[in-house]
Amino acid sequence: MSSTPLMPDDRRSLTARLTGMQYIVASLFAALAIGFWIFQVAQHEKFREMAEENHLRRLPLPAPRGVLIDRNGKVLVDNRDSFNIALIREQSHNVEQTLHILALATNTDEAQLRETVDRHRRDPPYRPIVLIENASSEQYIAVWARRWELPGIVPQQVPSRKYPGSDLAAHVFGYVGEIREDQLQRTEYSGIEPGSIVGQAGIELAYNKVLMGTDGTRMVVVNSVGREIGQPIGEELPKEGRRLQLTIDADVQQAAEDGFAATGFNGAAVVLDPRNGEVLAFTSLPAYDPNAFAGGIDRATWNGLNTDELRPLSNRALQGKYSPGSTFKMAVGLAGLEEGVITPDFHVFCGGGQTFYGRFFKCWQKGGHGSVDLRHAIEQSCDVFFYTVGNMLGVDRINKWATLFGLGVKSGIDLPNELQGLVPSTEWKAQNTKEKKWYAGETISVAIGQGQVSVTPISLAVYTATLANGGTRVTPHLVKAVDDGQELRPVPPPPPQSQVDVSHEKLQAIRDGMWLVVNGEHGTARRAKIDGKDVCGKTGTAQVISNQGRTSARTTKNLRDHGWFTFFAPRDNPEIAGVVFLEHGIHSANAASVAKHILETYFAKKEGRPLPPAPTRDDMHLDLRDPFARSTAGVEGNN
Amino acid sequence: MFERRLYFHIDWLLLGAVLLLAAIGLSMIYSTTYVTLPDGTGHAGPRFWVQLYAVGLGAFALALFLAVDYRFLAEHSLFLYGALVLLLVYVLAAGVRAGGSQRWISLGHFNLQPSEFGRLALALILAMYFGENRRGARNYGDLVIAGLFFVVPFLLIAKQPDLGTAVTLVPVCFGIAYLAGLRLRLIAIVAVVAVLLAPVAWKVALKDYQKLRVETFLDPEKDARGAGYQQIQARITVGSGGLKGKGFMKGTQGQYKFLPVAENDFIFSVLAEEQGFIGVLVTLGLYLFVILRSLEAARVAKDRIGAYLVGGIISGFTFQVIYNVTMSAGLAPVKGLTLPLMSYGGSSMIATLAAFGLILNVKMRRFTN
Repeated sequence: MSSTPLMPDDRRSLTARLTGMQYIVASLFAALAIGFWIFQVAQHEKFREMAEENHLRRLPLPAPRGVLIDRNGKVLVDNRDSFNIALIREQSHNVEQTLHILALATNTDEAQLRETVDRHRRDPPYRPIVLIENASSEQYIAVWARRWELPGIVPQQVPSRKYPGSDLAAHVFGYVGEIREDQLQRTEYSGIEPGSIVGQAGIELAYNKVLMGTDGTRMVVVNSVGREIGQPIGEELPKEGRRLQLTIDADVQQAAEDGFAATGFNGAAVVLDPRNGEVLAFTSLPAYDPNAFAGGIDRATWNGLNTDELRPLSNRALQGKYSPGSTFKMAVGLAGLEEGVITPDFHVFCGGGQTFYGRFFKCWQKGGHGSVDLRHAIEQSCDVFFYTVGNMLGVDRINKWATLFGLGVKSGIDLPNELQGLVPSTEWKAQNTKEKKWYAGETISVAIGQGQVSVTPISLAVYTATLANGGTRVTPHLVKAVDDGQELRPVPPPPPQSQVDVSHEKLQAIRDGMWLVVNGEHGTARRAKIDGKDVCGKTGTAQVISNQGRTSARTTKNLRDHGWFTFFAPRDNPEIAGVVFLEHGIHSANAASVAKHILETYFAKKEGRPLPPAPTRDDMHLDLRDPFARSTAGVEGNN
Repeated sequence: MFERRLYFHIDWLLLGAVLLLAAIGLSMIYSTTYVTLPDGTGHAGPRFWVQLYAVGLGAFALALFLAVDYRFLAEHSLFLYGALVLLLVYVLAAGVRAGGSQRWISLGHFNLQPSEFGRLALALILAMYFGENRRGARNYGDLVIAGLFFVVPFLLIAKQPDLGTAVTLVPVCFGIAYLAGLRLRLIAIVAVVAVLLAPVAWKVALKDYQKLRVETFLDPEKDARGAGYQQIQARITVGSGGLKGKGFMKGTQGQYKFLPVAENDFIFSVLAEEQGFIGVLVTLGLYLFVILRSLEAARVAKDRIGAYLVGGIISGFTFQVIYNVTMSAGLAPVKGLTLPLMSYGGSSMIATLAAFGLILNVKMRRFTN
């Protein structure tokens, strides 16, 4: 074996170079050690958390919302188990393809699925995105059958809302839906995770905090593809939302809805207990089926609800502003009495109309009512009497008393988005119109609830209740008691909005007139009479268009008059008061028929008698003659 | 040819450190590839057993390369080199494909990766060339010839494609030339040219996936679900280990497969996670000991061939260790470069142990003629 031994020169140079290498290697290793020290010791906490986030998953266990029961304990809104189909993106190799297959398998709109995923693109990839809420059993089976082609698609069992069916009391309950972006920003929703279901209307919205409950969580260990490993390492069970007892009486509510159904009209009804403001029935039609929202509403239904000309999503009882018509006359009468302008015995001669400020105002009764006092003017809804009283009062004193009794102001009901009507005054006109100056002639129309006067059905119900209970403007409310975990704890009724200082004697004259409306010989709502119950009420017709306008417009269905009937009973010690509003109901007497069914149901239930059956169309004795034929000369008059 | 007295000159400490590192690697492979059954029981994964056999075969190779005089091997290095080139050509022609590259020769039950032996063959032939020509590496003509020896296997390996392994030939070449007296001025010039040529190389030579790796390294968050994923996970794995580690088989990152191919490229990350900074220091210390001790062997080598051989081998080894450990902490672009002695991989283990056989060989024969 040959070899070249190292010469001394060579060795010196080699040694120097080897030493250089040793230094370089040693310093590189020192640098590595420092690098590891920085990660493992200095920044350990940060990476420890990241590792935990990697392999620990907090799965939400959604809490059922609180059950809603009626004043007698009957369950109105409950929960049921439903299936959601969700996508966990980090488990899906190809989201596009997964969505494509899912859309085919479940017969859903692929574009909508993609849109949903896109909306949640900033969520962490392990958080399930609910693609199909409330999946049908066919969809569930289809997904299960193709589960190998659908990695990342998981079914979730979730509690979802179950409403009594169809659209019963839909506007009371409202509906639930996924929390919106703008809601997430607000403080009252702090702590609520994106994707959570919250109330979006009605009681569900107003009492969302109470109803929502607390979601539970389950901690699981997952591997890098998101598969759960072993048993959950921690579990916190969800806490159901609190049970709410509503003031609603399911039977009275049903009666109101049945009454409407029999007439075929849309509209609104509010029935109160005038003693405390408890809402016994509350309806607004057309409505919607809240069940359609419970499991996530599909786009077609949602668009349909929003574009429907009849606006089923709008709550007419709170948001509809209509001319009160003759139901306004009690306010004018009371103002006359309280301001000392008239006494109950004040008589006016009605010859079928009268001229004020150079203009002829006609009474709805062509032949006139002859000489009438306050009581009979209310009974027969004599326009001339109230033209006269209104003219004596002036608009501001009418405004004062109408406002005191709750017209033109908000009722303060515990439902969201209430609007307020309008009772005009000189001040209002000065501030809100171009014309600014109030003309005395305008007061004449206001005196019979026309002109600029507008009210919401709820405010008219409060007005009636205030007349009934002697001047306490009660605050309507829907919640009677809240479950505190052990039992239903009554919620004290909200304090009245105001207490009107009114003479009992003078108020009684108004009530007498309202009694005559139903029970008198010439009453305009005799069909609402119930023997022994002393039902009091007042009809009103709200014109949708002036008579002049009507002649020029081609008459269509949606120009027909609205019908009002406001009522309370019994006359002495009233315990039920309310209002029925029939949209384009033509005649106020038709509204009185609905009210009668409500009242009969209420009293039958109270006295333990069998409840009257749901009325048929014939039972309603509807008067559908469109009074278009009546003379269009002169100014509006109504009954 | 193995005289009894040579036995007393074996560097037992170096050999012990090398085997200890292999044992640490084995235990980490055991930990990451352990198979847990649904009923809670489990057993060692197949890769652990493969690695154990590889260590056994490697020990045999080590003994073989220790027993045969390194000068004999150097003299026949042209033959060994030629055999390697033929194997590499064969791989390209009829090798086994896996994961998009063709690197292996099937030998029935297992696959042989000839490229892992490239460093050995190259070190032998270059040590022989520079050791015998008396001029060292001062002559440019010699450097060109050395460059040709380097470039043939380099291209063959890069073509597989396996740029990671091919690149490990560079430090071998460079280490030998450096010890053989490569002018420092030339090193400086090469460095400057390399920097100037880098943009050109970027445009011309690198494949898209390689560019992506570099880009991702510079900004891992940019592609956190794709190429940056491994890098981010590597940092999390290392950082979450802390000072003392999560414990043997208790690392969540490695156990739950957040770190891909943990038993291979990222075995050091697993060690850092489960054994913590203390385990890292001990292991890095062992590696440093092995390297410095080997450089000592070069210093005391009897002849230039021995010194260059050790220098070349240990340069390649050092480069791999430093690069892989840096990558394990997510501080270098992810590249298929294994950690010698610890990463899973039979050919790598056998070749590395054989290489240490040669180093021990040089040191053991420092007094013989």
